[in-house]
Amino acid sequence: MLKQATLRNLTVFKQADLAFSPGLNVVVGENGSGKSHLLKAIYALIATSAQEGLKPQSEAPTKTLLQKAYADKLMNVLRPEYLGRLARRKQGRERCELSLQFVESNLDIHISFATNSKSDVQVDQLPINWQDKAPVFIPTREVLSTYHWLSSLYRTSHVDIEENLIDLCDLLGALSVKGPREKKVAELVSPLEQAMGGKVILEPNGRFYLSIPGSGKMEMPLVAEGLRKLAMVARLISTGSLLDKGYLLWDEPEANLNPKLIKVVAALLLNLSLHGIQVIVATHSLFLLRELEILSGHRDYAKLQNRYFALCQTDSGMEVEQGNHLDDLQTLVLLDEELTQSDRFMESQG
Amino acid sequence: MKCFTEGKLTFKFESDDSSQYDNWSFYRNQFNSAFGGTKAIDFISIDSNHTWLIEVKDYRYDRRTKPSDLADEVAIKVRDTLAGLVAAQSNANNKNEKRLASLAVRKPLKVVLHLEQPETGSRVLPRIAEPSNLTIKLKQLLKAVDAHPKVTHQYCLAHNMAWIVSG
Repeated sequence: MLKQATLRNLTVFKQADLAFSPGLNVVVGENGSGKSHLLKAIYALIATSAQEGLKPQSEAPTKTLLQKAYADKLMNVLRPEYLGRLARRKQGRERCELSLQFVESNLDIHISFATNSKSDVQVDQLPINWQDKAPVFIPTREVLSTYHWLSSLYRTSHVDIEENLIDLCDLLGALSVKGPREKKVAELVSPLEQAMGGKVILEPNGRFYLSIPGSGKMEMPLVAEGLRKLAMVARLISTGSLLDKGYLLWDEPEANLNPKLIKVVAALLLNLSLHGIQVIVATHSLFLLRELEILSGHRDYAKLQNRYFALCQTDSGMEVEQGNHLDDLQTLVLLDEELTQSDRFMESQG
Repeated sequence: MKCFTEGKLTFKFESDDSSQYDNWSFYRNQFNSAFGGTKAIDFISIDSNHTWLIEVKDYRYDRRTKPSDLADEVAIKVRDTLAGLVAAQSNANNKNEKRLASLAVRKPLKVVLHLEQPETGSRVLPRIAEPSNLTIKLKQLLKAVDAHPKVTHQYCLAHNMAWIVSG
């Protein structure tokens, strides 16, 4: 479970210390405020540890292995021209530092690299153990409709596809869980299947379909884009990637979804948190925030501790406001914009 | 039962310890000019459980305050009113105002923005200002006073609000 992330001189961030909740964490901020960079950097570090640990004949973490592995993953997920480009741009050399602290301190990581670093990071704190579960990063757009060719294209050609998409494909292609955990899967997936009007299936031809009772199978590219996003999450739950424990980093869950589906997603985020998944979402949607606020007051979610972060532009760079409640944040640009829209509407009404 | 008029609205409070704070002689003659000028909320109503600080806006007839400034205006009025009540406990010349001030500061505080809005005729913007947005903004500003400030109108009063509004 991620407890704290400290970023120093990463892209737009001069210094950011984020204290996470074990449950749902919500990041807001304008376009370009670094929300996706934050999520991807956290993802890259955790994913490296999980993927290295899964390799055959994997041994305990070493600095020699990880100084290359962390650099490669950061490069492949964030796709700068070279590693040093991820350090905050200013005159002269600058050093970027990334540190993740976990409830399990044997997983703690601290790495750094300079603006002129090409392909290696310096591992300042080496984790003692590997992460035992792969994190899930869900991007703004779905990948189910491109699943059957995306991974093979990446692995056979040198294309600059963000590697988190390929990792996601790998998780989507895993086998569904069987046995006693199926009940838990059904509980989480049922509202999604209701919203989609069917079940997600992976056929032997390597393509995903939506199986609709009474109507047969529908090819994923023909399913509405918003529903494909829900289908991805349903699949990740049924394969166990989002079950019992683990990390979900979801960039703009509201993208391509109508409010009816955003409502489903809000409940899903809280239900996943209840089931032991640590969730970090970045959002522009006031509708989603309001929905989370409404649901969080419900007794089913009373024991959950949410955490909110606002990324705010200041003269010295991007800064982070944080608190346990939405109203602890003083900078809510999305709220202010809605209120100034009301101003314009009032003026137009005469 | 106490009855007051604010613009076109009539408020009937069950509690006799209800008053128009901006009409208090303490506020008008003593506190209004303090600190170079202070603001006042419209009503204070003290019931057995709470002290209600109620600010009234009626967008049907008066649009002087923009929606984006509304929460700030309420917050400033609440802040100034609380300062006024503390001072009135010992300094109000009017005995009843002195008594009400002493009573008011001893109960948990509840803040209410009573906002009447016209029918806009628009399906995408049925109201000028979305009450849930104003509630979040009020919470940002007033959490230390009342963690759950409310935005109401005459057809939507909470069960613990012992008053009725018409007009």
